[in-house]
Amino acid sequence: MTKMKYMMSGGLAFSEQKDMQKLQKNAQKGWHLNSFATLGYNLEKKEAEDVQYSIDYRKLEKGEEEEYFELFSTAGWTHVCSSYEMHIFKASPNIKPIYTDVESNIDKIERLARPVNISTIFVALIAMLFWVIMTFTNSPFQQIGTWLFICSYVLLMPMLGMLVVLQYRKWIKKC
Amino acid sequence: MKSLEQLTDPVFYIMAALAKPKHGYAVMSLVEETTNGAFVIGPATLYTIIKKLLAEELIVLHDASDSRRKVYVLTEKGRTVLEKDIERRKIMLTLAEKELTKGD
Repeated sequence: MTKMKYMMSGGLAFSEQKDMQKLQKNAQKGWHLNSFATLGYNLEKKEAEDVQYSIDYRKLEKGEEEEYFELFSTAGWTHVCSSYEMHIFKASPNIKPIYTDVESNIDKIERLARPVNISTIFVALIAMLFWVIMTFTNSPFQQIGTWLFICSYVLLMPMLGMLVVLQYRKWIKKC
Repeated sequence: MKSLEQLTDPVFYIMAALAKPKHGYAVMSLVEETTNGAFVIGPATLYTIIKKLLAEELIVLHDASDSRRKVYVLTEKGRTVLEKDIERRKIMLTLAEKELTKGD
């Protein structure tokens, strides 16, 4: 039976680089990335190995996967696991990075930011709607509206945080 | 498509390599060999740029019979854009060479 262990993610918007470094450190101790898990990764016990990890975000249509993974493997990057539009690859430490230019790297952050942007706008609109209900109606609607407004507001704050961080990451790449 | 207004180095290399039909890996190796490994195009960068060039109709799918190694080639539009960028780069080189040799 293989031994498994869970590693928590710091949140890819915030600490993608740190996550990848943590995965590398774990592999050096024999804990290898096996698959994505809820808010983290599943690691599997094997031989210790020095490997670097990289993540890419890309929606692959039917018939695109083969070419995409073939390009990575010919460049020395082995596909480890995928979840939704996220793909993690590993390679020995002397292999060149998967992104070698600034422009494509910014495109990558934009692909990561797109769903965050859309859901933030959505939640912001909902929060505004509840604020209107809360302000301009009488009970019991007012009370329900207040609670729902607080809930959506609490949800909105970390999303705005993510937006700011992603914009910042794009900005430092450009400098 | 910011990087296509003025071709960046990787975009320039990829378009130049695709003047004759090639698959992605052949593009990577040609650039790496020609520059003696000084210029490397990573797989994620290459894939991103191929998708952009396809969207802008600067390259086109030439042969998809091997789904792992799709072959692309420069379009007429791509050829025009590349030739224009060669001219831009020539001006840069001429200026630099002229200034370096001037007055000694």
